[in-house]
Amino acid sequence: MTRLFGRIRRFRRAFVLLAVIGPGLITSNADNDAGGIATYSQAGAQFGYQMLWILVAVTVSLAVVNEMGARMGVVTGKGLADLIRERFGVRRTTFAMALLLFANAFTTVAEFAGIAAGLELFGVPRFVSVPAAAAVIWLLVVRGSYPVVEKVLLSITVVYVTYVISGFLAHPPWPEVLRSSVVPHVVPRRDFVLLAIALIGTTVTPWMQFYLQAAVADKGIPNEHLAYSQTEVVAGAFVTDFVDFFIIIATAAALFGHLSSAQLGSMQAGDFARALEPAAGQAATALFAVGLVGASVLAGSVVPLSTAYAVTEAFGWERGVGRDLGEAPAFFGIFTGLLAIGTAAVMIPGLPLVTLILLSQEANGIILPAILIFMLVLLNDRRIMGRHVNGRLANTVAGLTVAVLIGLTLILLVASLPGSPLSG
Amino acid sequence: MLFLTEILRAEVIDVRQRRSGAVQDLAVRAQEPYPVVTGLVVSRRRNLVIPWSQVRTFAAATREVVLRIPLEEVERHEADPNEIWLARDVMDKQVVDTDGRRVVRVNDLQLVESGGVLLLVGADIGLRGLLRRLGLEGLAKRVARMLGRELPMVLVSWEVVDPLGAAPDLVHPASDDAVRLRISGRRIAKLHPADIADIVEELGAKERQTVFDTLTEEVAADTLEEMELSDQVSVIEHMDAERASDILEDMPPDEVADILTELPADRAERLLSLMEKEEAKDVKELLAYEEDTAGGLMTTEYVAVGEHLTAQQCIEELRRLEPDAESIYYVFVVDQDEHLRGVLSLRDLIVAAPSTPIASIMIRDIISVRLEDGAHEVAAVLSKYNLLAVPVVDDEFRIQGLVTVDDALDAVLPDSVKRKLPRAR
Repeated sequence: MTRLFGRIRRFRRAFVLLAVIGPGLITSNADNDAGGIATYSQAGAQFGYQMLWILVAVTVSLAVVNEMGARMGVVTGKGLADLIRERFGVRRTTFAMALLLFANAFTTVAEFAGIAAGLELFGVPRFVSVPAAAAVIWLLVVRGSYPVVEKVLLSITVVYVTYVISGFLAHPPWPEVLRSSVVPHVVPRRDFVLLAIALIGTTVTPWMQFYLQAAVADKGIPNEHLAYSQTEVVAGAFVTDFVDFFIIIATAAALFGHLSSAQLGSMQAGDFARALEPAAGQAATALFAVGLVGASVLAGSVVPLSTAYAVTEAFGWERGVGRDLGEAPAFFGIFTGLLAIGTAAVMIPGLPLVTLILLSQEANGIILPAILIFMLVLLNDRRIMGRHVNGRLANTVAGLTVAVLIGLTLILLVASLPGSPLSG
Repeated sequence: MLFLTEILRAEVIDVRQRRSGAVQDLAVRAQEPYPVVTGLVVSRRRNLVIPWSQVRTFAAATREVVLRIPLEEVERHEADPNEIWLARDVMDKQVVDTDGRRVVRVNDLQLVESGGVLLLVGADIGLRGLLRRLGLEGLAKRVARMLGRELPMVLVSWEVVDPLGAAPDLVHPASDDAVRLRISGRRIAKLHPADIADIVEELGAKERQTVFDTLTEEVAADTLEEMELSDQVSVIEHMDAERASDILEDMPPDEVADILTELPADRAERLLSLMEKEEAKDVKELLAYEEDTAGGLMTTEYVAVGEHLTAQQCIEELRRLEPDAESIYYVFVVDQDEHLRGVLSLRDLIVAAPSTPIASIMIRDIISVRLEDGAHEVAAVLSKYNLLAVPVVDDEFRIQGLVTVDDALDAVLPDSVKRKLPRAR
């Protein structure tokens, strides 16, 4: 008997750990993907500490939106794509899926740009690294050895803790850092608006809403355990953004004020790596590259796969990596197609990788409000959520996020007109 | 043939040609074999429904529903909250096509007028239904014709459809609401357990529970056996403990042990305590062995008989024990201390004269494995001697259990191979 429960106890520890660090851990780590690293680094390099308050505000938004997704997943046991189809019908579902496909194609491009940029720091040319990475991802996911690899990739992203150490060792002006974190400060320039959209769009991403909710629903967590799931995803949001906070600080300390505006417009991944020098010294570039490649491969697998699941779920087509191509053509078509787009876009000669990555995050930020509106309607529908409908806090924070993003996008449109005072 | 999409948003015209709003939904009453339309929902917000008996005809060409009577005489009634509305509760939802044994989404609903009533006869689950919803069906048909093709229509008869999670309830969202649409008992429950397993693996966790709730314990046990371990665990974990323990009793102890090891300890202990003593004891013994050894792979369901029986007595003993299919092929002969003395195949028993002592026909040269032997060794032994199962013995050659060839194969095949195996159709 003792042997029996000794064995059960051993497994139970592993089980609880897995149950707790499920969806939240992966989503938060994938948050620090190529798009995240590039955007936070660019924010630090270009605007110093001035964007920290945006990150603080968007952290609250991330926590609230994550909680909404987890709650919807637990209560309905269904993914977001499922619910959109069942609540909104074919037309609006087609619209939502078109947006998702567009945003995620862009995100996949960013991940492959991250892989290319990271491996170029090791001297591997992108026309070798990118097709190889695409082939490896395809085989891992389709052949079914992905879960093992996922754990390896997750552990690689631990190198980002180096940013926290670097942030401290760089001795930033703490009073200024703290003030910038809480006092809003706006630079009335088009590139500030653009980067603000990218910063929000890389932290709260459209694909994440689909992935997180599907992952939670898949676990079949009963309503009584809703609180655990909520705590996990909210904690995940704060932990991720804690690291991101230090990415901005470390990069600001290393680069802000040392670069001309021409240099700022064409940043290289290698420049960003200098932020890690206080902690890692000579190894800064290698460490940065390893982290970037690890996170990019992780997100580069998750994004195409979760897109394929979402779209096929919404339209009721056969899906799953256990199927074969003939049984689930749409599923494999979307997955393979996104990998192909990601590969092809990065292979265009002379394309500046960092610019490409930032562009993708801006696209995500512009698309996000539409997805959040779908979520808000679902979360306020009593037929779907029962007594777990959205409270006032969640509605306010998510609604504000939508309003701010739409506002920023409109400002961006105006600023892009010729002769605008914000241009330049 | 009429589709729900074509009647939705059609104008409602009274007998004096006056407009009275648009069709927002159709209310139906569950009925065998096809649900019957009972009313036109003209205001979803105010729950206003015009009874179908007051409708004279639906003109598809002009998209008009013509009433028999003037507007003033129309008896509208408040919708019954338990009524099923097709667009709201059935359209776009997932259903099980029990004929094709798969989970599909309702893209459109097919209606047929018959003897003055409108019946729901089928679900459109194909691309054509999606295109119709998008208003692109006509265009797609013309394009297909230009290419010399026909746009295929994929319909399933309502007789073979089992709705899932349709019509959410206000108090318990997405709970057992599907039951309300049920007409003739669950059709899924009548499928082969392997097919049920295929279907439930495509469902979300909550819908999976809904399906399991409708299965008898034996069918539920057989279905679970066909599922992946992680799915088995999730089903058992969220099931009512009493019922879960009843289902586990119907499963082979080795599978039960595998599931229990993955559950939280308190849950596993509770399930064990609820199970019949006899079954619980078998499971507990198995739990003590490491997973990848003969001890961890074996089942304790095997047939062992005393060595002094005759062939006739032995066959009678088998009848009394009613062993499971996978353990009947070999009959093990043991002495009173459970030491393994010989083995009989079913064939040996049947062809022997009834009065022959089994000791004289049994094979004494027994192929066996030891408790601590690894999974690969066990598989190698099974393969080398072409056995369906091999007995597991302890240090003193007492029989402890039996490893069947499929359990051994499962343990040694890499996951990637198993997942690529074709699904049985």
